[in-house]
Amino acid sequence: MTENKTLTLTINGETHAVQMTGVRTLLSVLRDDLGLVGAREGCGIGMCGACTVLVDGRAISSCLMFAQQAEGSQITTIEGLPEGDHLHPIQQAYLDHAAFQCSYCTPGFILSTVALLQEHPDANADAAREYLAGNLCRCGSYGNILQAVLASKTVKS
Amino acid sequence: MSTQFHQPETIPEALELLTQHGSDAKVIAGGTAVVLMIQQKLIAPPVLVSLAHIPELERIQTVGGEIRLGALARIRDVAQSSLIRDRLPMLAQACGEVGNIRVRNQATIGGNMAEADYASDPPAALLALDASVTVAGPDGTRSVPLSEFFLGFYTTALDEAEIITEIVIPTPPDGARMTYHKFKSRSSEDRPCVGVAALAVMDGETCSELRIAIGAASEVPVRLPTAEAMARGRVLDDSLIGEIADHAATKIDPLDDLRGSAWYRTQMIRVHVQRALLELRNEFSTL
Ligand SMILES: Cc1cc2nc3c(=O)[nH]c(=O)nc-3n(C[C@H](O)[C@H](O)[C@H](O)COP(=O)(O)OP(=O)(O)OC[C@H]3O[C@@H](n4cnc5c(N)ncnc54)[C@H](O)[C@@H]3O)c2cc1C
Ligand code: FES
Ligand code: FES
Repeated sequence: MTENKTLTLTINGETHAVQMTGVRTLLSVLRDDLGLVGAREGCGIGMCGACTVLVDGRAISSCLMFAQQAEGSQITTIEGLPEGDHLHPIQQAYLDHAAFQCSYCTPGFILSTVALLQEHPDANADAAREYLAGNLCRCGSYGNILQAVLASKTVKS
Repeated sequence: MSTQFHQPETIPEALELLTQHGSDAKVIAGGTAVVLMIQQKLIAPPVLVSLAHIPELERIQTVGGEIRLGALARIRDVAQSSLIRDRLPMLAQACGEVGNIRVRNQATIGGNMAEADYASDPPAALLALDASVTVAGPDGTRSVPLSEFFLGFYTTALDEAEIITEIVIPTPPDGARMTYHKFKSRSSEDRPCVGVAALAVMDGETCSELRIAIGAASEVPVRLPTAEAMARGRVLDDSLIGEIADHAATKIDPLDDLRGSAWYRTQMIRVHVQRALLELRNEFSTL
Protein backbone atom coordinates (compact mmCIF):
# COMPACT_ATOMS: atom_id res chain seq x y z
CA MET A 1 0.00 0.00 0.00
CA THR A 2 1.51 3.31 -0.98
CA GLU A 3 -0.40 6.13 0.49
CA ASN A 4 0.44 9.60 -0.74
CA LYS A 5 0.05 12.21 1.96
CA THR A 6 0.45 15.95 2.00
CA LEU A 7 2.68 17.23 4.74
CA THR A 8 2.60 20.90 5.67
CA LEU A 9 5.85 22.33 6.96
CA THR A 10 6.53 25.89 8.10
CA ILE A 11 10.08 26.75 7.13
CA ASN A 12 11.64 30.17 7.58
CA GLY A 13 8.15 31.59 8.06
CA GLU A 14 6.76 30.15 4.82
CA THR A 15 4.36 27.26 4.47
CA HIS A 16 5.37 24.40 2.18
CA ALA A 17 3.20 21.48 1.11
CA VAL A 18 5.16 18.29 0.45
CA GLN A 19 3.79 15.11 -1.12
CA MET A 20 5.14 12.11 0.72
CA THR A 21 4.81 8.40 1.03
CA GLY A 22 6.00 6.75 4.21
CA VAL A 23 8.43 8.42 6.56
CA ARG A 24 11.50 10.42 5.57
CA THR A 25 13.97 12.49 7.53
CA LEU A 26 13.52 16.23 7.73
CA LEU A 27 17.01 16.52 6.23
CA SER A 28 16.01 14.58 3.15
CA VAL A 29 12.80 16.59 2.67
CA LEU A 30 14.60 19.91 3.07
CA ARG A 31 17.29 19.00 0.56
CA ASP A 32 15.60 16.74 -1.95
CA ASP A 33 12.06 18.15 -2.08
CA LEU A 34 12.55 21.79 -1.19
CA GLY A 35 16.05 22.52 -2.47
CA LEU A 36 17.11 23.88 0.90
CA VAL A 37 20.59 22.40 0.74
CA GLY A 38 22.17 24.43 3.54
CA ALA A 39 21.53 21.55 5.94
CA ARG A 40 24.02 18.85 5.02
CA GLU A 41 24.50 15.22 5.77
CA GLY A 42 27.77 14.46 7.49
CA CYS A 43 27.44 11.44 9.73
CA GLY A 44 23.70 10.75 9.40
CA ILE A 45 23.65 9.53 13.02
CA GLY A 46 23.27 12.66 15.14
CA MET A 47 26.91 13.17 15.99
CA CYS A 48 28.38 15.85 13.71
CA GLY A 49 25.85 18.70 13.52
CA ALA A 50 26.22 19.38 9.77
CA CYS A 51 22.45 18.85 9.46
CA THR A 52 21.51 21.20 12.33
CA VAL A 53 18.26 23.14 11.96
CA LEU A 54 16.15 24.92 14.55
CA VAL A 55 12.74 23.49 15.39
CA ASP A 56 10.77 25.95 17.51
CA GLY A 57 14.08 27.64 18.25
CA ARG A 58 15.83 24.48 19.44
CA ALA A 59 18.82 23.07 17.61
CA ILE A 60 18.24 19.50 16.49
CA SER A 61 19.81 17.08 14.02
CA SER A 62 17.54 16.96 10.98
CA CYS A 63 19.03 13.55 10.13
CA LEU A 64 17.49 12.16 13.35
CA MET A 65 13.99 13.57 12.93
CA PHE A 66 11.26 12.51 10.55
CA ALA A 67 9.65 15.39 8.65
CA GLN A 68 6.29 14.33 10.14
CA GLN A 69 7.62 15.13 13.61
CA ALA A 70 8.24 18.75 12.62
CA GLU A 71 4.75 19.37 11.27
CA GLY A 72 3.15 22.26 13.16
CA SER A 73 6.53 23.62 14.31
CA GLN A 74 8.55 26.60 13.15
CA ILE A 75 11.57 25.32 11.27
CA THR A 76 14.55 27.60 10.69
CA THR A 77 17.30 26.74 8.21
CA ILE A 78 20.38 28.72 7.24
CA GLU A 79 18.46 30.02 4.19
CA GLY A 80 16.11 31.85 6.57
CA LEU A 81 18.75 33.94 8.32
CA PRO A 82 19.63 36.74 5.86
CA GLU A 83 17.30 39.72 5.61
CA GLY A 84 17.07 40.53 1.90
CA ASP A 85 20.62 41.16 0.73
CA HIS A 86 21.99 41.46 4.23
CA LEU A 87 23.60 38.54 5.94
CA HIS A 88 22.55 37.82 9.48
CA PRO A 89 25.10 39.36 11.89
CA ILE A 90 26.24 35.90 12.96
CA GLN A 91 26.82 34.89 9.33
CA GLN A 92 28.77 38.12 8.84
CA ALA A 93 30.86 37.41 11.93
CA TYR A 94 31.76 33.94 10.59
CA LEU A 95 32.83 35.57 7.31
CA ASP A 96 34.78 38.31 9.05
CA HIS A 97 36.67 35.77 11.13
CA ALA A 98 37.20 33.29 8.28
CA ALA A 99 35.61 30.73 10.58
CA PHE A 100 35.74 27.90 8.02
CA GLN A 101 37.83 26.30 5.34
CA CYS A 102 35.61 23.99 3.29
CA SER A 103 32.48 25.34 5.09
CA TYR A 104 30.65 22.01 5.13
CA CYS A 105 30.01 22.41 8.85
CA THR A 106 29.25 26.14 8.74
CA PRO A 107 25.44 26.29 8.40
CA GLY A 108 25.14 23.92 11.36
CA PHE A 109 27.59 25.94 13.44
CA ILE A 110 25.82 29.21 12.61
CA LEU A 111 22.39 27.85 13.54
CA SER A 112 23.77 26.42 16.78
CA THR A 113 25.27 29.85 17.48
CA VAL A 114 21.88 31.46 16.87
CA ALA A 115 20.34 29.10 19.45
CA LEU A 116 23.21 29.64 21.89
CA LEU A 117 22.93 33.42 21.81
CA GLN A 118 19.16 33.25 21.95
CA GLU A 119 19.40 31.27 25.18
CA HIS A 120 22.56 32.85 26.61
CA PRO A 121 23.11 36.30 25.13
CA ASP A 122 26.14 36.75 27.40
CA ALA A 123 27.74 33.36 26.76
CA ASN A 124 31.47 33.37 27.48
CA ALA A 125 34.09 31.24 25.73
CA ASP A 126 33.60 28.27 28.05
CA ALA A 127 29.83 28.30 27.65
CA ALA A 128 30.20 28.58 23.86
CA ARG A 129 32.67 25.68 23.77
CA GLU A 130 30.33 23.50 25.78
CA TYR A 131 27.22 24.42 23.80
CA LEU A 132 28.90 23.87 20.44
CA ALA A 133 30.79 20.74 21.48
CA GLY A 134 28.44 18.56 19.42
CA ASN A 135 29.17 20.40 16.18
CA LEU A 136 32.24 18.97 14.48
CA CYS A 137 34.53 20.73 12.01
CA ARG A 138 36.73 18.37 10.07
CA CYS A 139 38.89 21.28 8.90
CA GLY A 140 39.62 22.22 12.49
CA SER A 141 38.51 25.84 12.27
CA TYR A 142 37.51 25.82 15.94
CA GLY A 143 39.69 28.75 17.00
CA ASN A 144 38.21 31.09 14.42
CA ILE A 145 34.70 29.76 15.01
CA LEU A 146 34.99 30.62 18.70
CA GLN A 147 36.16 34.12 17.82
CA ALA A 148 33.24 34.55 15.45
CA VAL A 149 30.81 33.41 18.14
CA LEU A 150 32.22 35.80 20.71
CA ALA A 151 32.22 38.64 18.18
CA SER A 152 28.57 37.85 17.29
CA LYS A 153 27.58 38.57 20.86
CA THR A 154 28.35 42.24 20.51
CA VAL A 155 26.79 42.74 17.07
CA LYS A 156 23.77 40.49 17.53
CA SER A 157 20.67 42.02 16.05
CA MET B 1 7.70 0.19 2.27
CA SER B 2 5.35 2.88 3.38
CA THR B 3 5.12 3.52 7.09
CA GLN B 4 1.94 5.09 8.45
CA PHE B 5 2.55 7.89 10.93
CA HIS B 6 -0.12 8.42 13.60
CA GLN B 7 -0.24 11.34 16.01
CA PRO B 8 -2.84 10.61 18.69
CA GLU B 9 -3.68 13.41 21.13
CA THR B 10 -4.69 11.38 24.16
CA ILE B 11 -3.29 8.34 25.97
CA PRO B 12 -6.41 6.18 25.31
CA GLU B 13 -6.17 6.98 21.59
CA ALA B 14 -2.52 5.98 21.56
CA LEU B 15 -3.27 2.71 23.38
CA GLU B 16 -6.13 2.01 20.98
CA LEU B 17 -3.78 2.38 17.99
CA LEU B 18 -1.16 0.15 19.59
CA THR B 19 -3.72 -2.54 20.38
CA GLN B 20 -5.25 -2.34 16.92
CA HIS B 21 -1.94 -2.68 15.08
CA GLY B 22 -0.26 -5.13 17.48
CA SER B 23 3.26 -6.08 16.50
CA ASP B 24 3.04 -3.88 13.38
CA ALA B 25 3.11 -0.76 15.56
CA LYS B 26 6.07 1.01 17.12
CA VAL B 27 5.95 3.92 19.53
CA ILE B 28 7.99 7.00 18.61
CA ALA B 29 8.71 9.72 21.18
CA GLY B 30 11.69 12.00 20.40
CA GLY B 31 12.72 9.63 17.65
CA THR B 32 16.49 9.78 18.21
CA ALA B 33 16.67 6.00 18.44
CA VAL B 34 13.69 5.02 16.27
CA VAL B 35 14.64 7.24 13.31
CA LEU B 36 18.19 5.91 13.39
CA MET B 37 17.01 2.29 13.47
CA ILE B 38 14.63 2.84 10.56
CA GLN B 39 17.23 4.76 8.55
CA GLN B 40 19.74 1.97 9.13
CA LYS B 41 17.09 -0.58 8.12
CA LEU B 42 17.35 -2.40 11.44
CA ILE B 43 13.58 -2.17 11.78
CA ALA B 44 10.77 -1.41 9.33
CA PRO B 45 7.60 -0.87 11.37
CA PRO B 46 4.46 -0.52 9.19
CA VAL B 47 2.92 1.83 11.77
CA LEU B 48 4.48 4.53 13.95
CA VAL B 49 2.50 5.92 16.86
CA SER B 50 3.92 9.28 17.94
CA LEU B 51 3.36 10.39 21.53
CA ALA B 52 4.54 13.93 20.85
CA HIS B 53 1.07 15.43 20.65
CA ILE B 54 -0.10 14.26 24.06
CA PRO B 55 0.65 17.37 26.12
CA GLU B 56 0.01 15.81 29.54
CA LEU B 57 2.99 13.50 29.01
CA GLU B 58 5.48 16.37 29.08
CA ARG B 59 5.03 17.65 32.62
CA ILE B 60 7.74 17.75 35.28
CA GLN B 61 6.05 18.24 38.63
CA THR B 62 5.84 17.35 42.31
CA VAL B 63 2.76 15.48 43.49
CA GLY B 64 2.59 14.76 47.21
CA GLY B 65 6.01 13.53 48.25
CA GLU B 66 6.94 12.48 44.73
CA ILE B 67 8.62 14.05 41.77
CA ARG B 68 7.05 12.98 38.51
CA LEU B 69 8.62 13.23 35.08
CA GLY B 70 6.29 12.88 32.16
CA ALA B 71 7.67 10.28 29.75
CA LEU B 72 7.82 12.87 26.96
CA ALA B 73 9.88 15.38 28.97
CA ARG B 74 12.94 16.21 26.88
CA ILE B 75 16.23 15.15 28.39
CA ARG B 76 17.41 18.77 28.18
CA ASP B 77 14.30 20.02 29.96
CA VAL B 78 14.96 17.56 32.78
CA ALA B 79 18.59 18.73 32.97
CA GLN B 80 17.55 22.38 33.10
CA SER B 81 14.46 22.11 35.30
CA SER B 82 15.00 24.14 38.47
CA LEU B 83 12.96 21.56 40.38
CA ILE B 84 15.27 18.74 39.27
CA ARG B 85 18.48 20.75 39.73
CA ASP B 86 17.40 21.65 43.21
CA ARG B 87 15.94 18.36 44.45
CA LEU B 88 17.61 15.70 42.30
CA PRO B 89 20.90 17.23 41.19
CA MET B 90 22.42 13.93 40.11
CA LEU B 91 19.59 13.39 37.66
CA ALA B 92 20.18 16.86 36.22
CA GLN B 93 23.87 15.96 35.92
CA ALA B 94 23.18 12.63 34.22
CA CYS B 95 20.71 14.19 31.76
CA GLY B 96 23.01 17.17 31.14
CA GLU B 97 25.72 14.79 29.96
CA VAL B 98 23.67 12.83 27.44
CA GLY B 99 25.23 12.96 23.97
CA ASN B 100 25.18 16.45 22.53
CA ILE B 101 22.82 19.37 22.87
CA ARG B 102 20.76 18.42 19.79
CA VAL B 103 20.15 14.92 21.12
CA ARG B 104 19.15 16.36 24.51
CA ASN B 105 16.78 18.79 22.77
CA GLN B 106 14.98 15.97 20.97
CA ALA B 107 15.30 12.82 23.08
CA THR B 108 12.81 12.11 25.85
CA ILE B 109 13.38 10.61 29.28
CA GLY B 110 10.74 7.93 28.66
CA GLY B 111 12.36 7.03 25.33
CA ASN B 112 15.70 6.67 27.07
CA MET B 113 14.16 4.20 29.56
CA ALA B 114 12.18 2.25 26.95
CA GLU B 115 15.18 1.96 24.64
CA ALA B 116 17.16 0.31 27.49
CA ASP B 117 20.50 0.78 25.79
CA TYR B 118 23.06 -0.25 28.41
CA ALA B 119 25.36 2.66 27.46
CA SER B 120 23.00 5.27 28.91
CA ASP B 121 23.26 7.83 31.69
CA PRO B 122 19.83 8.57 33.22
CA PRO B 123 19.01 4.96 34.23
CA ALA B 124 21.79 4.67 36.86
CA ALA B 125 20.80 7.99 38.45
CA LEU B 126 17.12 7.00 38.50
CA LEU B 127 17.95 3.59 39.95
CA ALA B 128 19.88 5.20 42.81
CA LEU B 129 16.88 7.48 43.37
CA ASP B 130 14.54 4.44 43.80
CA ALA B 131 12.47 5.55 40.81
CA SER B 132 9.61 3.58 39.34
CA VAL B 133 8.00 3.67 35.94
CA THR B 134 4.27 4.14 35.42
CA VAL B 135 3.04 2.09 32.51
CA ALA B 136 -0.34 2.37 30.79
CA GLY B 137 -1.76 -0.47 28.73
CA PRO B 138 -5.04 -1.88 27.49
CA ASP B 139 -5.71 -3.37 30.95
CA GLY B 140 -5.04 -0.17 32.89
CA THR B 141 -2.06 1.31 34.63
CA ARG B 142 0.70 -0.35 36.63
CA SER B 143 3.81 0.78 38.41
CA VAL B 144 7.12 -1.03 37.85
CA PRO B 145 10.10 -0.34 40.12
CA LEU B 146 13.11 0.54 37.96
CA SER B 147 14.97 -2.38 39.56
CA GLU B 148 12.48 -4.69 37.79
CA PHE B 149 12.10 -2.68 34.59
CA PHE B 150 15.36 -3.39 32.74
CA LEU B 151 15.56 -7.06 31.81
CA GLY B 152 18.55 -7.22 29.48
CA PHE B 153 20.05 -5.66 26.35
CA TYR B 154 17.34 -3.42 24.86
CA THR B 155 14.75 -5.41 26.79
CA THR B 156 12.30 -4.09 29.36
CA ALA B 157 9.22 -5.19 31.28
CA LEU B 158 7.02 -3.26 28.77
CA ASP B 159 4.43 -5.31 26.88
CA GLU B 160 3.76 -4.69 23.21
CA ALA B 161 0.74 -2.43 23.62
CA GLU B 162 2.02 -0.56 26.69
CA ILE B 163 3.54 2.88 27.01
CA ILE B 164 5.48 4.59 29.76
CA THR B 165 3.51 7.60 30.96
CA GLU B 166 5.63 8.75 33.89
CA ILE B 167 8.76 8.19 35.88
CA VAL B 168 8.07 8.60 39.58
CA ILE B 169 10.79 9.45 42.07
CA PRO B 170 10.21 9.53 45.84
CA THR B 171 11.60 12.69 47.43
CA PRO B 172 15.09 11.82 48.68
CA PRO B 173 15.73 11.87 52.45
CA ASP B 174 16.37 15.29 53.99
CA GLY B 175 19.96 16.38 53.64
CA ALA B 176 20.78 13.72 51.04
CA ARG B 177 23.85 14.49 48.95
CA MET B 178 24.13 12.98 45.53
CA THR B 179 26.33 12.91 42.49
CA TYR B 180 26.62 11.27 39.07
CA HIS B 181 29.99 10.52 37.54
CA LYS B 182 30.07 9.83 33.83
CA PHE B 183 33.30 8.27 32.66
CA LYS B 184 33.85 8.53 28.91
CA SER B 185 36.71 6.65 27.31
CA ARG B 186 36.62 8.12 23.79
CA SER B 187 35.21 11.58 22.95
CA SER B 188 33.60 14.28 25.05
CA GLU B 189 30.11 13.56 23.67
CA ASP B 190 30.40 9.79 23.82
CA ARG B 191 28.03 7.50 25.63
CA PRO B 192 29.34 6.37 29.01
CA CYS B 193 31.93 3.62 29.49
CA VAL B 194 30.92 3.58 33.15
CA GLY B 195 28.38 5.68 35.04
CA VAL B 196 28.37 5.89 38.84
CA ALA B 197 25.39 7.32 40.70
CA ALA B 198 25.78 7.75 44.46
CA LEU B 199 23.59 9.17 47.19
CA ALA B 200 24.55 9.58 50.85
CA VAL B 201 22.75 10.80 53.92
CA MET B 202 25.23 12.02 56.53
CA ASP B 203 24.74 12.55 60.21
CA GLY B 204 27.83 14.59 60.96
CA GLU B 205 30.71 12.32 59.94
CA THR B 206 28.59 9.20 60.14
CA CYS B 207 26.84 7.87 57.08
CA SER B 208 23.28 6.84 57.82
CA GLU B 209 22.40 5.79 54.28
CA LEU B 210 24.37 5.10 51.14
CA ARG B 211 23.12 4.15 47.69
CA ILE B 212 25.30 3.25 44.73
CA ALA B 213 24.17 2.36 41.20
CA ILE B 214 26.49 1.45 38.35
CA GLY B 215 25.37 2.02 34.78
CA ALA B 216 26.81 1.25 31.33
CA ALA B 217 29.14 -1.45 32.69
CA SER B 218 26.80 -4.42 32.37
CA GLU B 219 23.63 -5.41 30.49
CA VAL B 220 21.41 -3.52 32.90
CA PRO B 221 22.22 -0.88 35.50
CA VAL B 222 22.67 -2.36 38.98
CA ARG B 223 22.45 -1.30 42.62
CA LEU B 224 25.13 -2.55 45.01
CA PRO B 225 23.37 -3.46 48.28
CA THR B 226 26.40 -5.05 49.94
CA ALA B 227 28.60 -2.04 49.18
CA GLU B 228 25.84 0.24 50.43
CA ALA B 229 25.55 -1.71 53.70
CA MET B 230 29.27 -1.30 54.41
CA ALA B 231 28.75 2.42 55.02
CA ARG B 232 25.68 2.36 57.19
CA GLY B 233 26.31 3.77 60.67
CA ARG B 234 30.02 4.23 60.03
CA VAL B 235 32.34 7.18 59.64
CA LEU B 236 32.98 7.66 55.93
CA ASP B 237 36.73 8.05 56.16
CA ASP B 238 39.25 7.54 53.37
CA SER B 239 39.97 3.94 54.25
CA LEU B 240 36.29 2.94 54.37
CA ILE B 241 35.71 4.70 51.04
CA GLY B 242 38.62 2.73 49.60
CA GLU B 243 37.17 -0.54 50.90
CA ILE B 244 33.73 0.22 49.50
CA ALA B 245 35.22 1.08 46.10
CA ASP B 246 37.28 -2.14 46.04
CA HIS B 247 34.23 -4.14 46.99
CA ALA B 248 32.01 -2.40 44.40
CA ALA B 249 34.48 -3.28 41.65
CA THR B 250 34.19 -6.98 42.49
CA LYS B 251 30.39 -6.93 42.37
CA ILE B 252 29.99 -6.18 38.66
CA ASP B 253 30.65 -8.65 35.88
CA PRO B 254 31.54 -6.03 33.29
CA LEU B 255 31.06 -6.00 29.55
CA ASP B 256 33.85 -5.98 27.03
CA ASP B 257 33.20 -3.53 24.18
CA LEU B 258 34.75 -0.70 22.17
CA ARG B 259 34.46 1.66 25.13
CA GLY B 260 36.56 -0.56 27.37
CA SER B 261 37.59 -4.11 28.16
CA ALA B 262 36.08 -5.90 31.14
CA TRP B 263 39.33 -5.45 33.09
CA TYR B 264 39.43 -1.73 32.34
CA ARG B 265 35.80 -1.25 33.33
CA THR B 266 36.46 -2.94 36.67
CA GLN B 267 39.26 -0.45 37.34
CA MET B 268 37.08 2.48 36.29
CA ILE B 269 34.24 1.35 38.54
CA ARG B 270 36.63 1.29 41.48
CA VAL B 271 38.12 4.69 40.66
CA HIS B 272 34.80 6.42 40.05
CA VAL B 273 33.00 4.92 43.05
CA GLN B 274 35.89 6.20 45.15
CA ARG B 275 35.77 9.67 43.59
CA ALA B 276 32.00 9.88 43.90
CA LEU B 277 32.08 8.95 47.59
CA LEU B 278 34.93 11.34 48.35
CA GLU B 279 32.92 14.07 46.68
CA LEU B 280 29.83 13.30 48.75
CA ARG B 281 31.84 13.04 51.95
CA ASN B 282 33.58 16.34 51.27
CA GLU B 283 30.30 17.96 50.30
CA PHE B 284 31.59 19.38 47.06
CA SER B 285 29.02 21.15 45.03
CA THR B 286 27.10 18.59 43.06
CA LEU B 287 26.56 20.67 39.94
C1 LIG C 1 24.32 10.88 18.85
C2 LIG C 1 23.68 10.26 20.06
C3 LIG C 1 24.36 10.28 21.29
C4 LIG C 1 23.76 9.75 22.43
N1 LIG C 1 24.45 9.79 23.61
C5 LIG C 1 23.87 9.31 24.74
C6 LIG C 1 24.52 9.41 26.01
O1 LIG C 1 25.63 9.92 26.13
N2 LIG C 1 23.87 8.93 27.11
C7 LIG C 1 22.62 8.39 27.02
O2 LIG C 1 22.06 8.03 28.05
N3 LIG C 1 21.99 8.27 25.85
C8 LIG C 1 22.58 8.71 24.70
N4 LIG C 1 21.92 8.61 23.51
C9 LIG C 1 20.65 7.89 23.45
C10 LIG C 1 19.46 8.78 23.63
O3 LIG C 1 19.43 9.27 24.96
C11 LIG C 1 18.22 7.95 23.32
O4 LIG C 1 18.23 7.66 21.95
C12 LIG C 1 16.96 8.70 23.65
O5 LIG C 1 16.86 9.00 25.01
C13 LIG C 1 15.74 7.95 23.24
O6 LIG C 1 14.62 8.79 23.48
P1 LIG C 1 13.66 9.22 22.28
O7 LIG C 1 12.57 10.01 22.88
O8 LIG C 1 14.43 9.87 21.19
O9 LIG C 1 13.16 7.79 21.88
P2 LIG C 1 12.58 7.18 20.53
O10 LIG C 1 13.66 7.04 19.54
O11 LIG C 1 11.36 7.88 20.13
O12 LIG C 1 12.19 5.74 21.11
C14 LIG C 1 13.17 4.85 21.64
C15 LIG C 1 12.51 3.51 21.99
O13 LIG C 1 11.63 3.66 23.08
C16 LIG C 1 10.28 3.38 22.71
N5 LIG C 1 9.52 4.41 23.41
C17 LIG C 1 9.76 5.75 23.40
N6 LIG C 1 8.94 6.38 24.26
C18 LIG C 1 8.17 5.43 24.82
C19 LIG C 1 7.12 5.46 25.81
N7 LIG C 1 6.75 6.60 26.41
N8 LIG C 1 6.54 4.29 26.13
C20 LIG C 1 6.93 3.13 25.56
N9 LIG C 1 7.91 3.03 24.64
C21 LIG C 1 8.53 4.17 24.28
C22 LIG C 1 10.25 3.41 21.21
O14 LIG C 1 9.28 2.55 20.69
C23 LIG C 1 11.66 2.92 20.88
O15 LIG C 1 11.73 1.54 21.00
C24 LIG C 1 22.48 9.16 22.34
C25 LIG C 1 21.80 9.13 21.11
C26 LIG C 1 22.37 9.67 19.99
C27 LIG C 1 21.63 9.65 18.69
S1 FES D 1 24.39 14.48 9.63
FE1 FES D 1 23.02 14.82 11.23
S2 FES D 1 24.32 15.05 12.92
FE2 FES D 1 25.72 14.44 11.37
S1 FES E 1 35.19 24.19 7.63
FE1 FES E 1 35.43 22.23 6.79
S2 FES E 1 34.33 21.01 8.16
FE2 FES E 1 34.35 22.89 9.15
